[in-house]
Amino acid sequence: MSYFHIADDTAPAGVGDGDEVAVLVAAGEVDFAAAPQLRERISDQLDAGRRQLVLDVSSVTFIDSTAIGVLVGVITRLQDAGDGSLAIVCGEENRPVMRIFDISGLTGLVAVHRTREEAFSALVTAG
Amino acid sequence: MRLAAEHTHARHHIGELLLAALPSELGAARAFAERVGVAFGLDGDDCYDFTYAVNEAVTNAIRHGAPDRHGRIHLSFRASASRLTIAVRDYGTFVMPVARSDARSEHGRGFPLMARLTDAVRVRVEPGRTTVYLSKARA
Repeated sequence: MSYFHIADDTAPAGVGDGDEVAVLVAAGEVDFAAAPQLRERISDQLDAGRRQLVLDVSSVTFIDSTAIGVLVGVITRLQDAGDGSLAIVCGEENRPVMRIFDISGLTGLVAVHRTREEAFSALVTAG
Repeated sequence: MRLAAEHTHARHHIGELLLAALPSELGAARAFAERVGVAFGLDGDDCYDFTYAVNEAVTNAIRHGAPDRHGRIHLSFRASASRLTIAVRDYGTFVMPVARSDARSEHGRGFPLMARLTDAVRVRVEPGRTTVYLSKARA
């Protein structure tokens, strides 16, 4: 009934520290049924040694509190360890999800970029 | 219906859904909430917010509550002239969520989100069952 999809994409050459960068693109509804998949795909990238993650949720239509909890968990672990980052991309047209990010406090914890390019340049600047 | 008897006569029963207490059923809960919201006349943002809050309440019932003896959570909607109310009922004992103001916590966002996205949140705790009522006023 509900649809959720998450896939890997590649970062353009020269972004961040090369092998450290991973791009994940999610689409559809991220609810309590889908949140474990989100967690797994992020963990897979971290386990593979990628420490600069970019998660594009521009095509996500719904994200619940358990999925936001997953993102907060990843972000705070990386911040505390000081060895990586998770940047979130949410297109300007995706007002419903952006509003949920605001209300839930996620935007106070991490920068939410409007485009992937903006997220990539933030990586470059940080590196 | 027990629920109908508990409510005042001013409200009209406009829908009920018995939902298997499984995460895979959350999409069905959202679709139902959205249909009811549209039928009641909630506009786009209000309908999204209402549906979002319903999803949070049903998620809590599935995660922390208990189903009826047939494995189900009960959703029922009522409408007055100005406001739509849903009751999400499970058959577990309510455990008060720990109030967290820590932005870095992974948990504890469900009730604050429900409160922000609706006009009223009430929790009714009875022996052997817990009901969360969410109300949204028509603009």
